[in-house]
Amino acid sequence: MVKVYSFESCPWCNKVKNYLKARGVEFETRDIELSEEAAAECQKISGDLTVPVTTIDGVHYVLGFDKKKIDELLASA
Amino acid sequence: MSVYDFTVKTKRGEDKSLADYKGKVLLIVNTASKCGFTPQFAELQKLYDTYKDKGLEILGFPCNQFAGQEPGTNDEVQQFCKLNYGVTFPIFAKGDVRGETAQPLFKYLTAQKKFEGFDMNHPVAKPLLDALQKNFPEYLEGDGIKWNFTKFLIDREGEIVARFEPTTTPAAIAGDIEKLL
Repeated sequence: MVKVYSFESCPWCNKVKNYLKARGVEFETRDIELSEEAAAECQKISGDLTVPVTTIDGVHYVLGFDKKKIDELLASA
Repeated sequence: MSVYDFTVKTKRGEDKSLADYKGKVLLIVNTASKCGFTPQFAELQKLYDTYKDKGLEILGFPCNQFAGQEPGTNDEVQQFCKLNYGVTFPIFAKGDVRGETAQPLFKYLTAQKKFEGFDMNHPVAKPLLDALQKNFPEYLEGDGIKWNFTKFLIDREGEIVARFEPTTTPAAIAGDIEKLL
């Protein structure tokens, strides 16, 4: 399952989600502002609370709205 | 009536009484709600790092009533956002700060400290004034908040000492803060 770490007022997060939707990719939104658990996970994956962080396995991730890298991440799954 | 009579909402929706900050010097700021290029966040954080141990608390209130980019700055280049804009002082729930729908705290602050004009020496002053005249001419009337990063300085007894417009940078008010600490 694809997970997108994000928060509501982050425009780049919304762009990633819209891009995944447009590609028909199912994903889970993990809001790091509303959930301390999600924030801790995000910190563990990327070492920071900067989002969007897109990941499938919780190890490899893409920071930011970078279509090329997101495509690569999806292709590797 | 003082700022200590107000209760605000945290980002997680909990009530927070400003009376909890009695005895601190407060800087209350309406901040941008998006995570673009906003150097004032970095400057506020610098003030906070310098003075928090001496009793300064900065309270940020994000608001999206001032649509679009900060005038006079570049378009967003980074494609990501830092939680809480990368600052460690408290950022409260997003809400309105001007007009009928303004949070009561901001109605109170703007009624107590009037708008006295922008500092036209600041590089953003001219584009900001132009943008307001073009897009929100009504914002220029009265004492309401004009734009992101209006700052209210409160002393340890809860008295509102000063109002600084967005055209006064956080670095420029360090001296005013020091006097109260």
